[in-house]
Amino acid sequence: MTDVIGPPPPFDPELAAAIAIAGEKMPDIGRMLARGGDAVATARALRDEMADFLLDPDADLTRDGAFTVSEREVSGPDGAPDITLLICRPNNAPPPVGVIYFVHGGGMVVGDRFTGLANFLGVAEELGVAVVSVEYRLAPEHPHPAPVDDCYAGLLWTVEHAEELGVDPARVVIAGGSAGGGLTAATALLAKDRGGPALLGQLLLCPMLDDRNDTYSARQMAGVGLWDQTANQFGWSALLGDAQGGDDVSPYAAPARATDLSGLPPAFIDVGSAETFRDEAVEYASRIWRAGGIAELHVWPGGFHGFSGIVPQAAVSQAAGQAPRAWLRRILAD
Amino acid sequence: MTTTVPSPESDAVRIGPPVPFDPELAAALDVIRERMPATFTAEMLPMFRAARAELPDLTDDEISLGGTFDVIERTVPGPAGAPEVPLLICRPASATVAVPALYFIHGGGMIMGTNRGQGMADVLEVAAELGLAVISVEYRLAPDHPHPAPVEDCYAGLLWTVEHADELGVDPNRLVVSGASAGGGLAAATALLARDRGGPALVGQLLLCPMLDDRNDTYSARQMAGLGVWDISFNQVGWSALLGDAQGGDDVSPYAAPARATDLSGLPPAFIDVGSAETFRDEAVDYASRIWRAGGIAELHVWPGGFHGFVLLAGQAAISQTAKAAVAPWLRRIIGA
Repeated sequence: MTDVIGPPPPFDPELAAAIAIAGEKMPDIGRMLARGGDAVATARALRDEMADFLLDPDADLTRDGAFTVSEREVSGPDGAPDITLLICRPNNAPPPVGVIYFVHGGGMVVGDRFTGLANFLGVAEELGVAVVSVEYRLAPEHPHPAPVDDCYAGLLWTVEHAEELGVDPARVVIAGGSAGGGLTAATALLAKDRGGPALLGQLLLCPMLDDRNDTYSARQMAGVGLWDQTANQFGWSALLGDAQGGDDVSPYAAPARATDLSGLPPAFIDVGSAETFRDEAVEYASRIWRAGGIAELHVWPGGFHGFSGIVPQAAVSQAAGQAPRAWLRRILAD
Repeated sequence: MTTTVPSPESDAVRIGPPVPFDPELAAALDVIRERMPATFTAEMLPMFRAARAELPDLTDDEISLGGTFDVIERTVPGPAGAPEVPLLICRPASATVAVPALYFIHGGGMIMGTNRGQGMADVLEVAAELGLAVISVEYRLAPDHPHPAPVEDCYAGLLWTVEHADELGVDPNRLVVSGASAGGGLAAATALLARDRGGPALVGQLLLCPMLDDRNDTYSARQMAGLGVWDISFNQVGWSALLGDAQGGDDVSPYAAPARATDLSGLPPAFIDVGSAETFRDEAVDYASRIWRAGGIAELHVWPGGFHGFVLLAGQAAISQTAKAAVAPWLRRIIGA
């Protein structure tokens, strides 16, 4: 690359202060990746290291009785194992209710159906909608297309069993953050291209969209923040193996590769200005607009990857947390 | 969707399918269309100004928000050799200490508008909420006064404000330049001037659907030709009025068209918003992107299906309410209120 890469945008002062205090608890992905070794062993080490960070075993998924929580084993993709769906139904809303189909994050290599879910239950309670969270197989043990096919299979099952679940199949929003945002975008592409379920919207929070891992922001933020270019390289290589970054990557693996972004459900896209994914998120929104589509974009100043979940008390996190709620209210309004 | 019939000229420049308007905004646009054409030529300017002049400015009572603000009008020295610049100064009546201030630059495509226009209403509302003063500058308009008259007037008023901060009861270290549409472009240009001339340190620049790029040739400008509010033909009239034959050429100053600036480092934190269904979408996104690439601070919001000025022109729509509500939290963080 011949461009001169500028200095990183500074972190928001409140976020920077919180990171300085929480530094010890933050997983040092770069250090773990620097150890080398094979991808499976590294992914397992990451899962161990990040378990405390990503999981909140004390989270009350019923939200003090507001939701009935259950799990179902449902059919996976053809020839693949069943998948687990975690289903949270609001007790105080008469069926059929709208549903947020949630895809967790974790760089394609980490996390489970509980990761980040609690953040969505608050808004789901407020809106009286259900949340269905899918447990998809992780890379590198299960490379593309396993993760996205699992996500899509769970979506199909949800829509086909809408009546049994008490949800309205015409009011489905798919949602996810980070790798979950990328998988959400990919699931929307699959639904479009396979003539699958009509979706009300796609909520893409700091989404991981582009396996080429070579945007200006990826290079600008190299070595800075929670999920830098090196970590991103690990995630995409785990998903795609040697195909990563090459000429033959499916848009269902890396939605930035899609050449046609028309005909998609309305998108909500957000990202921090100080993270790897900034430019690919802005570009994805821009390409939706250029195709005549509907997208809302927010770029939060000084936000590192996942800032609003990691430092929720910061003022910029509060603002960033409100924006998807307002969008969901509009999208899911009767 | 609206019943707009685009002109053949706009069909010729149009690319891609247009972005649909938000359904509530589309309904509002049908009403707007009854008093505003979809496309525009320079010959229509007198008629257009006359029609706009019929839109009432805010009354004294509306400007004081029923006594919330003490309002003073001052005429202050203009740029060297130029006439004086009127400022409308609105200071919270209850303030007992120096307050932060919004230095506000009205919109109107560089060719219309006043510093007491309807665009002030939202500014005064947020200022009242946060306890800010508002100083609204009356700058000279193109084509009667081409570049650099408008931006130099804005800058002169800013300098006077900072130099007289004590007298105004304003904290000179907590000043935000702000504006919508042409006012957003002038606010961005004023921030560039302040940086390059070693002028006042600003704590922020609030750029609402800003008019930044005289080249008037972005994808969004062409995509939305003949549609919405302030399409490519309006924009052409505005920029040509400001720049004459220089418009779109190789020698346009960044203080006229901030998109022409090659260095966007060292600027105050920016808030930039724009609708996804307007001419200015891509230049707003690009300006934010270039600030980030320079290591700067910018917050960007692109509101789906928003036409130009939707917050002002269709304030009751849900999307307008949401867009309007995004400003106060940013201001709070910027000024530490």
